[in-house]
Amino acid sequence: MVDTTKNAIPFEMAQIPGPEMAKTYMPKVIGAIIKKAKRPLLVVGAELFDDPIMFDKMIEMGKMGIPIAATAHSVKGFVDRGYLDNVYQIGLHPLTSNLRFGDWMGLDGKGQYDVVIFLGIFYKFANGMFSTLKSFNRNIKRVSIDRYYHVNANMTFGNMAFTPDDYHAAVDEVIAAMKK
Amino acid sequence: MATSKGSFSVEDMKNVQINIGAVVKEADEWDQPMGPFPKPNVATLRNWDFKLCDRYKIMYSPADDTCTLCTYGPCDLTGNQKGACGIDMAATCGKIVLLAVLIGTCAHTAHGRHLYHWCLDRLGDMPFDMGDEILVDAPLTRTILGIKPKSLKDFGEALAYCEEEIAQLLASCHTGQEGFYKDFESKALHSGMIDSLGKEICDMLQTVAYDMPRGAADAPLVEIGLGTLDQNKAVLIAYGHNLAAGAEAMIYTEENNLWNNVDIGGVCCTAIDLTRITETGRASKIPANLGPKVKVAGAMGWWRKMIRADIMDAVMVDEQCIYCDVLEDCEKRHVPVIASNDKIMLGLPDRTNDPADAIVEDLVSFKAPGAAILDPVKAGEVAIRVAIAVKPKRAQFKKDITFNEQQFKETLEKCTACNQCAFVCPPHIKISNMIAEALKGNLEPFSSTYEVCVGCQRCEVVCPQEIPVLKLYEYANREYIQNQKFTMRAGRGPVTDTEIRKVGAPLVLGQIPGVIALVGCSNYPNGTKECYDIAKEFVDRGYIVVATGCMAMDMSLYRDEDGKTIWEQYGGAFDGRNMVNIGSCVANAHIHGAAIKVATIFAHRNERANYDDIADYILSKVGACGVAWGAFSQKAASIATGFNRLGIPAVVQPSSVIYRRTFMGRTDKPEDWMVIDAKNGQMQQIEPAPEALLYIAETKEEAMLEMAKLCFRPSDNTQGRGIKLTHYCDISMKYFGKLPDDWHIFVRDVKDLPLMYKDQMMKELEAKHGWEIDWKAKKFISGPLRPADVSFDPTNIARKIRTKK
Ligand code: SF4
Ligand code: SF4
Ligand code: SF4
Repeated sequence: MVDTTKNAIPFEMAQIPGPEMAKTYMPKVIGAIIKKAKRPLLVVGAELFDDPIMFDKMIEMGKMGIPIAATAHSVKGFVDRGYLDNVYQIGLHPLTSNLRFGDWMGLDGKGQYDVVIFLGIFYKFANGMFSTLKSFNRNIKRVSIDRYYHVNANMTFGNMAFTPDDYHAAVDEVIAAMKK
Repeated sequence: MATSKGSFSVEDMKNVQINIGAVVKEADEWDQPMGPFPKPNVATLRNWDFKLCDRYKIMYSPADDTCTLCTYGPCDLTGNQKGACGIDMAATCGKIVLLAVLIGTCAHTAHGRHLYHWCLDRLGDMPFDMGDEILVDAPLTRTILGIKPKSLKDFGEALAYCEEEIAQLLASCHTGQEGFYKDFESKALHSGMIDSLGKEICDMLQTVAYDMPRGAADAPLVEIGLGTLDQNKAVLIAYGHNLAAGAEAMIYTEENNLWNNVDIGGVCCTAIDLTRITETGRASKIPANLGPKVKVAGAMGWWRKMIRADIMDAVMVDEQCIYCDVLEDCEKRHVPVIASNDKIMLGLPDRTNDPADAIVEDLVSFKAPGAAILDPVKAGEVAIRVAIAVKPKRAQFKKDITFNEQQFKETLEKCTACNQCAFVCPPHIKISNMIAEALKGNLEPFSSTYEVCVGCQRCEVVCPQEIPVLKLYEYANREYIQNQKFTMRAGRGPVTDTEIRKVGAPLVLGQIPGVIALVGCSNYPNGTKECYDIAKEFVDRGYIVVATGCMAMDMSLYRDEDGKTIWEQYGGAFDGRNMVNIGSCVANAHIHGAAIKVATIFAHRNERANYDDIADYILSKVGACGVAWGAFSQKAASIATGFNRLGIPAVVQPSSVIYRRTFMGRTDKPEDWMVIDAKNGQMQQIEPAPEALLYIAETKEEAMLEMAKLCFRPSDNTQGRGIKLTHYCDISMKYFGKLPDDWHIFVRDVKDLPLMYKDQMMKELEAKHGWEIDWKAKKFISGPLRPADVSFDPTNIARKIRTKK
């Protein structure tokens, strides 16, 4: 079991927003939260190209029924692997813009999401988009399973940017918990 | 339709070929009546702003959950809570945005004010004459104030207007003044407009006073790069944005025949403006053709790299975007500093009234690290004399400035791989890995990330081992630095009326797919190369690509297979498949100007005191999109906001999220995309075009796709829409491996479909989107949002409805 609760310092150190800072959680807790969600959305970005094995892990989650918003040009990674079943091509910015409105019907037209799970996104940008939701739509739970401590999320891992093996193991544990 | 005596509109004359020969000189008196909004005040254009904000929803990304602006604070505003004064998070963000935009606006306006006094003092008043090719000569001044300046002095009225508006806007930021977010954004948009005017004033003043190119497509190629500064001569660096003192250094060098002894290199926009001086050969009090004698050392992002590379002997700073530790960096390396503008005095003694000889003596003997000299003539003379005299004396310190192999290795060995640096490096460079590789003798990571590093120095500040990372970079890249020799087209200034006549129709109908404007600074998410890549992608596709400021400089640093820089690959006209260097940051005003001129020269709209009408035209009909791929400054915030008020969308890089505010449309709300058809007053739903006013892209690939999309306009004819859709789809196929998910919403008619994808798309429209298709006639029976209608005249302003006379 990987301890993902350590190193709770913002990956960009000066990102200290205020009194409300994210808590770190173990993978199995995060996995259980995603599993319990009624309308979860996995949001992935272009940093997956730096660690391509992550695409396979995301596809594994996609196959479990979690829709994937492929931001930036990350959809290319899914195209190359021949998996597009529930993958939507959309920028993180327009996606977050939509997420802030309670009446948005989602990428599939079936309703707003209740949990968003971010990973593989340029830190500062993901942090800013979490911040939008933190102040302007608190009905959506903000979860990060990225390799960074995400200060504006509700639930996050601690920093694991320099321990890729642990990070991969942690994501595998999230997936395992979702399968339980 | 007759609009006023002597002019007519061609908006409803589609498919009419208009050939206009020589430009006819306008009568002296303005034939346009005063428009509805001369010198608009803070609230005058609020209706227009609210229209923009209703469609493009204001989106905030707070960079801070608290407020500490007054002594009630800190207040916790998390979750859009209210602070003690009653303001909520949204309005607080709006206030910070307004403040940032105002700072940028002040920087440009104050720059204009300085140049105004300086040019009039030094050279006297001069007729405001932009030459025979440019009769609509100060488009923003005309559109905003309703006046036509006749001499440089007339810009005083425009400056006074800017200054009054700035004071009013800043007052609204006091605690207990404005409290509603949307009004803050209206005020920010107002400030953005004032910023565009401030820039126009600056550039018009210097263009006339210093006889810069007035829309020269063939402006000369000038030398750019760290390697262009001749190390056998003394080197003076002129760094900043205000050319006054740098120009005097050039004049002193020319008049004293010193070009064999000294090289002058510019950094940031001062570089661009110095290379524009007296290039047209008109009668001038300044020696002719001075510009190409100076070199462009580089964009602002290169400053820390160049000071560490020991390529300069003296530095003269003027104003804006100067690293605050410039004096410390220079003093360490025995490079004397002259501060030439009262906005940046760096703690140096004010020696404006001391004899030049005494100042030179003190700086050359290193008795003082620098001096503030607020008289540009004296500053220019001292700077040149100091650079030449100090060069031999600096030789003794050279060995301490850069590393030798031994020192490089010893420094690498100090790294403990603690990764503190990686936690603060903006582009997330894995510095410890790079050091480990270098210890093994592999310098490749140091060279491949040299341009990715933005030179922020944060790594050095946090490193517990005090490792000078940038100095390591310098050693590893010393050969590249010596060979960094490229060319850049000198800033050409405004777009000519003749060029607008040529491109007006294809631009409005869509056959030229758009104007792409690369503007702004050097805080790139993934290196300098990306601005070259973006420019190249669009110029090859036939867009009109214009650039200004640091973006223009940085895209010069690459060559194609034939060894040509981007400026050598393409012509410099304002036309499709051309690469246009407009000029420095203040020359951005000419991009606004070009858009305004499409409305006035091509469509014969009156621009006089008619801002919202012109902005409405641009939003609906002129396919243009800005990209600020390295935006960092408050000026970049005001520039983007000024583009937005004029109806021009912009794409920014991911760090721009720190600006806090963006404008995003809701493509899922048809009611947000209703416009008036001016020909009959009926409401018409349009496709979401452009879908956003300020869009953050995570990668350059996403930026390019979005830029292609943001060039769609409701006025595109079928051929034009087909061309735009082709590029949109092509870019998606190239970088995303698939067609975009939303291409179908931009299709109105079978003729809109890109030929290449036509069959595939028709099948998909039927199968996936449920459109009914008459396959025999190759027509849509149902499906599109609206038909393609060549007579459609979209507007958002009710007074534009044409009434039968
Ligand atoms: S200005 Fe308002 S929100 Fe800010 S510290 Fe004062 S009372 Fe609090
Ligand atoms: S100076 Fe370069 S390497 Fe150092 S933190 Fe800044 S961007 Fe990173
Ligand atoms: S902070 Fe200094 S010691 Fe630590 S990894 Fe970076 S360069 Fe090495």
